[in-house]
Amino acid sequence: MSEILAVEARHLTVRFGDFAAVKDVSFTVRPGEIFGFLGANGAGKTTTIRVLCGLLAPTEGVVRVGGIGFENGAEPIKRKVGYMSQKFTLYDDLTVEENFDFTSSLRKLDPAIAARRRQELLDFISFSRPLDTFVRDLPGGLRQQVSLAAALLHDPEIVFLDEPTAGVSPAARALFWALIRKLAASGKTIFVTTHYMDEAEYCGRIALMRSGELIALDSPEGLKRSTFPAPLYELSPRSEGARIRIPELKRDPAIASLEAYGIRFHVAPRSEPEWERALPELRGDFEIRRIQPSLEDVFIRLVEGGNR
Amino acid sequence: MNRTLQGFLRKEFRQTLRDPRMRLLLFVAPIIQLSIFGVALSTETRNVRLAVAPPGIVERDPLLREIHDKSLASGWFLPAKTPVSDPFEAIRAGRVDAVLVPPPGGLTRAVARGDGQLQLLLDATNVTRAQGVERYLRTIAATVGAAQTLVSGGVALGTPPPLQFDVRILFNPTMRTAVFMVPGVMSMLVCLLTIILTSMSLTKEKETGTFETLISAPVTATEVILGKTIPFVLLGISNIPLILAAGILLFDLPMRGSLALLAFAALVFVICTVGIGIFISTIARNQQQSMMGGFLFLFPATMLSGMMFPIENIPDFLRWLAYLNPLTYFIEILRNILLKGGSPELVLRNIGILALMAFFTIGGSLRRFRTRL
Repeated sequence: MSEILAVEARHLTVRFGDFAAVKDVSFTVRPGEIFGFLGANGAGKTTTIRVLCGLLAPTEGVVRVGGIGFENGAEPIKRKVGYMSQKFTLYDDLTVEENFDFTSSLRKLDPAIAARRRQELLDFISFSRPLDTFVRDLPGGLRQQVSLAAALLHDPEIVFLDEPTAGVSPAARALFWALIRKLAASGKTIFVTTHYMDEAEYCGRIALMRSGELIALDSPEGLKRSTFPAPLYELSPRSEGARIRIPELKRDPAIASLEAYGIRFHVAPRSEPEWERALPELRGDFEIRRIQPSLEDVFIRLVEGGNR
Repeated sequence: MNRTLQGFLRKEFRQTLRDPRMRLLLFVAPIIQLSIFGVALSTETRNVRLAVAPPGIVERDPLLREIHDKSLASGWFLPAKTPVSDPFEAIRAGRVDAVLVPPPGGLTRAVARGDGQLQLLLDATNVTRAQGVERYLRTIAATVGAAQTLVSGGVALGTPPPLQFDVRILFNPTMRTAVFMVPGVMSMLVCLLTIILTSMSLTKEKETGTFETLISAPVTATEVILGKTIPFVLLGISNIPLILAAGILLFDLPMRGSLALLAFAALVFVICTVGIGIFISTIARNQQQSMMGGFLFLFPATMLSGMMFPIENIPDFLRWLAYLNPLTYFIEILRNILLKGGSPELVLRNIGILALMAFFTIGGSLRRFRTRL
């Protein structure tokens, strides 16, 4: 028996009037995978997620979620997936318990089963406050965790998280990602968008979107390798005078790309021999160190580089 | 009942009744508004400042004095605070509303001569008020004149006309405006409350983003529409006894018909207005838009409902709007049941029309509503 793909998109296109938010995008996600979706704002990430959750109909192309397509409307898909949108997903003026109550009634869960699931999920997120706490009184990080628990109440196979950690403290983000990895380990497929590159490192595979198109899809390591086949160097200027050379270096034939990172610069040489030749002269002005490319380097190279 | 609908019911009740502003809007505001409207929107002419010019003439002219005293005794008039020598100037300055000016030599003597011309100067910047004053003074002068005829046998001021109406004022014998206004205001308040509350509820969810989560669950359009209407129908209906009791206690509103019939009519009316509210929220994207939509409906609806101005007075090209207006039918039902004891024919016909309107507004919402973005 061949394994059913968790998510399958073939030539997915979504148009709003004349504007194509998603253009001819194809990818697959395997069950149990943490699939990261990266891109600048307006790149089409949220639109794609909305299609996969059955909230938007694709204009063209085929979408299958948990092996189910749109043939019988969006309801069968909605039953399979959990969705945590980037906006409010809980009611501020209801308590945690009341929010769970409403979610379980929306999903028509049996009250006994819903109560058991709720307890499991609250244990899972280590929720220790009283259940009659109003959601508006919860700190941001905790609110996101309760949101996640509410999205998991009906035990979906596939969970879509749209920027789940936006505006949350670093400690709370780390905690949230620990939960995401635990979920994936328990067999759930996680489809997550984020703006934080350190979070993207946790993903099994990453899809990069730019103005509606899928421009790269690979594991974080694979992306780094394919984007920066040659090693990457960090240049720290020794003096203000050295900074003045930067525009000139950008035009240097030995250098493929040069990006500013705070007070330092990341350089990708065009080829090893050329770089070796240029190196002694550069050492006068810069401290040079060989570094591993980060996902941020990849992101800047692929997403922002393409806009030039 | 469907589990999803039960969930909606619990949620909407909790959210609405928990919010102190909502509680105020639901249970206190209607009473305050009803009192203000009922008292202020009186079309009765009262507190008319009446003067007689020139000053001091009243004491020397018994007939004029009788008219003046009877006027003040009627309760509609107040004596002018300052003596009026120039009636035009006094009216222009707004010191008085009406001035009686007897003919030279006094009214008593003029009547004795058979020439009972009493001049009445009226401030007609407010036409309704001026007409009211004129009507009152005519009546008073006529009674004084008739008495005079009997007493002196002389020629009366204003000979009694050969044909007289025997007028009986039915259902509101004292012609109290409140009795006419309060049912209208009651309907308007229920309408306002339900439309605003309902339309804001769904658009608030669209605005905050909870709507997206809501429809990411496999719910049907019918479940969402009913889940968002039933709670507000119940909340709206809970307002009826409150407003009705306020009307009866504060304004002596008679309750001559069947309470059950009234309750049933109110239920159908509330379903209809909640339907309008939910229809607005299928169009509006945020709370501001639904507020605008609500008022866009409410203003013409209150004007063209017969609440204040009779529908018969509305020009033809606008009158069809009054016939498409649920308020028109409910106000008619309320007045009919409260004042006339309820004619089953009229009440049931209007309930039927309201039910039809409810069917169209809720049906229209169902057609428009999508469980997609």
